[in-house]
Amino acid sequence: MYSLKLSNICKHYTGTLLFKDISFELRPGEVLAITGWNGSGKSTLLRIIAGLVRPSLGKVEMFMGDEPIPKESRRKFLGMVAPALALYDELTALENMDFFCKVRGIAYDRESCLNMMERVGLTENANKTCRNYSSGMKQRLKLVQALLHSPPLLLLDEPGCNLDSNGMKIVEDIILEHRQLGMTVIASNEKREVDYAERAINLSE
Amino acid sequence: MRSGRWITQNEPLTYLNEATAIWLRDLRGEFRTRYAVNSILMFAVTTLVAVSFSIGSFRIGEAEKPFLCSVLLWIILVFSALSGLSRSFVKEEEAGTMDVLKLSARPQAVFLGKLFFNLTLLGALQLIIVPLFILLMNYKIASPGLFAAMIISGGLGLGAGTTIVAAMIAQASARGALFAVLSFPLLLPLMITAIKGCERAADGMNTAGWPEVRIAVAYTVIMIIMSLFLFPLIWEE
Repeated sequence: MYSLKLSNICKHYTGTLLFKDISFELRPGEVLAITGWNGSGKSTLLRIIAGLVRPSLGKVEMFMGDEPIPKESRRKFLGMVAPALALYDELTALENMDFFCKVRGIAYDRESCLNMMERVGLTENANKTCRNYSSGMKQRLKLVQALLHSPPLLLLDEPGCNLDSNGMKIVEDIILEHRQLGMTVIASNEKREVDYAERAINLSE
Repeated sequence: MRSGRWITQNEPLTYLNEATAIWLRDLRGEFRTRYAVNSILMFAVTTLVAVSFSIGSFRIGEAEKPFLCSVLLWIILVFSALSGLSRSFVKEEEAGTMDVLKLSARPQAVFLGKLFFNLTLLGALQLIIVPLFILLMNYKIASPGLFAAMIISGGLGLGAGTTIVAAMIAQASARGALFAVLSFPLLLPLMITAIKGCERAADGMNTAGWPEVRIAVAYTVIMIIMSLFLFPLIWEE
């Protein structure tokens, strides 16, 4: 059983305080929302949890049972979707998935990837290069990429960004299903997305 | 959606598997966009043609030829490499794929994958430019074995040196200038060694032991080992 613990996380950039004393614990089955004004540090906090940005103070720990997971291995246990996270435009959707499977040590199975793409409505475009995708289609593909390795922790930064109502339904299904076994952190100000969470942290307060 | 749980079969994850995946992805991307290839080859061919027209073979005396041709060849190779090899990391930064790569692969595997890619580009550059240079400059090689070994080992060192500098400058603003400025002192010892080695191969004197090839190989090994330790620090924020 996995868990996530943040202790007194503080972040400042060149003297400007972004947020301080962010502490929480997350266990499987829990969904946490992070809200706040633009520039309040929602995306930065998610990037800190993912290990992409170092906190100025405090620590992020992930546990498998009672065993802490080393920071350098944390990436194996999380999937992330964010507006700033791009996929490879010059590759097709399937080639992107092939790459992410191989680099993560997952045996690439074309049929399984096609099944996942069918669920997000991308089957017909699976062999198109991502350069020709709309922003909504790219967002759907990012969801597939984040779930490819069945991560116990899902970090969603504005998951509904660029999605139509069908796309929002897909996000909802993913969150509800992931809630059965995994932990989810959503950074958003959209009421529909925040409502999936049992708890919320407002960074503007 | 079953959160990706259809894909359950795992493969043994080695650094080599990861690096190979990154290398092949970069090759595939480069094959489609041809950013780095075009930039390196255009620079190399233009410089080579300019050199062959302005100080072609007829203006260089036979005695100076081995040294001068070696200098010109390595200047073309090094500066052509500097014109395009930074793309391996810069393109990740520009396309916004740096973070997804950080979340997917181990730093050392990323370095090795990018190194393989740069070495592939350099190999292709050398395959085209070196024979053309020999032909256009009427460059006679007395010891082809030593010459080939020097070109290969020099290319390996050049690839190793430029890859780590490319990683360092990827997130900087004035990347182009920084890449050349930072690479040059790092590559200078290799360049001097490679020029000496090619000169020795061309005039056929004192070729025993191939000392320059050994130095270039040692440079490459040291550079790769040092980079594998340093790269995770550069790769993280």
